[in-house]
Amino acid sequence: MNAQSKMPLLAPYPELGEAPIPVEPYLSQDYYDKEIEKIFRRDWLVVGREEEIAKPGDYKVKRLDFARTSVILIRGKDGKIGAFHNVCRHRGNKVVTETGGEETLGSNKAAVVTCRFHGWVYNAKGELVDVPQQQKFPACFDRAENGLIPIHVDSWAGFIFINLAETPSRTLTEFLGGVVEHFDGYPFDDITHCHTYYAHINCNWKTGMDAFCEGYHVPTIHAGSFPGLTDYWQGDVAFNGEHRSIAFYSNGMNPPTPVGTAANALFGASIALARDEPFPLPKLVNPGRHPNWGFEQTTVFPNFLIHVGAGLWFTHQFWPVAQGKCLWEGKYYLKAPKTNAQYWAQRYAVILQRNAWLEDTATMEDTQEALLSGVLKQMNLQDDEIMLRHQFHIVNGRVNGE
Amino acid sequence: MTGTAVMTGILPQEFAELQPFAGKWAKPTEYERAAERRSATPEQLKAFYDAILLRLPDILERIDRYPLGEVTGGDRLLLHMALSLAEIAPHVEFYKSDPHVPFAFKEERMFGMHSGIAD
Repeated sequence: MNAQSKMPLLAPYPELGEAPIPVEPYLSQDYYDKEIEKIFRRDWLVVGREEEIAKPGDYKVKRLDFARTSVILIRGKDGKIGAFHNVCRHRGNKVVTETGGEETLGSNKAAVVTCRFHGWVYNAKGELVDVPQQQKFPACFDRAENGLIPIHVDSWAGFIFINLAETPSRTLTEFLGGVVEHFDGYPFDDITHCHTYYAHINCNWKTGMDAFCEGYHVPTIHAGSFPGLTDYWQGDVAFNGEHRSIAFYSNGMNPPTPVGTAANALFGASIALARDEPFPLPKLVNPGRHPNWGFEQTTVFPNFLIHVGAGLWFTHQFWPVAQGKCLWEGKYYLKAPKTNAQYWAQRYAVILQRNAWLEDTATMEDTQEALLSGVLKQMNLQDDEIMLRHQFHIVNGRVNGE
Repeated sequence: MTGTAVMTGILPQEFAELQPFAGKWAKPTEYERAAERRSATPEQLKAFYDAILLRLPDILERIDRYPLGEVTGGDRLLLHMALSLAEIAPHVEFYKSDPHVPFAFKEERMFGMHSGIAD
């Protein structure tokens, strides 16, 4: 062992061990199949924000490639959100044509969706309310027995979760556990202006997750876009069941530049540019109220990262598509601008963040390809990579359990 | 207009010195502005940056005469050019005028979707 080893983040958690972690979970088809069966098909998964379908009749269809399905989320006239497989009960066509690709948004004043193959109509409770030429179906056909196939759905803090299990083993609240208190009072509902980027990446979903879950890469990978964040440190590690949180502090911000300074004066929208205005945070986020606090990252198990900062928040999500393929979605949330100049300022900050995400995603396929060589058997993790260590222990426990 | 000025690409008279840059940089979407940036030379990035930066305060003042998202006419072209400045600023200020993000995922494989306000 390194005689000068200092691992203050890991020290309180001896159960996580100090040994390298194996490479097999990133490469094994059998391991991947078990992740899908034992995790993704059983746990609560974030599929959207309530404000995306704010009005009765608004709907969103999201592809879930790992389960070879897609989910219709639709807000009913009673304001409740229903979730259903996008599969018509007639001959299985997709009820809503997925014109948007990964996410299709739409709205229907009557709060129904209609299959365009033969015109079967379903309401927001999933009930089959109209079948053209129903008299031509046999007497045994019963509309009441042929509603859309439901998916369990619930919300927390404006995040819509679904659960594909026939009977989830835990409620959403039980699943989230301490995460609820952790974010208590953070104004997700007030900061809703969303900038989204996504890409299909040829890597295991965990290879993607890992690249975003440690600050160790910042001085190298982000030397281009975040040259001021290289002197960083991490703290405030918190584990809530399968979920995990860690904070990022920095001794600097990006150096002042003409455009960066002009934008930041109009709207503080970047994690790499200083903001002076005070911003109320939950008591468990930056608990020491340290002035060098930048943002905190919480992984909502299994695949959703929420980063909260002062006046902005952003998320990453890695959806398994196949063993060595995933869909990455990055969403950056700001308060709606009030003026055109503020809008311009926000775009500068978002473009800088987009470029940082291009730097992050650059490593993922290279990592996966190199792992595929088979020559590396294990990964060495340092203290700042404690989130990866925790992820390995949780995922491995689930894959090898029951 | 949005009408004539956007179609003809003519900037307001007070910004005539920026007119030579309008054809390349007054593009209405992030996708197009990024594509123009990638096809530019480092010298083109720097020349546009230097020229428009001098007038940035004037442009921001101009576009704020309109309600949010409702900039029209030649001023809309100025908004698009200011957004091109936002697009290229990291390249000039941080990446030594490299038109591409250095050491990055292939940009054309990353897609954007933005809620709310149209450029």
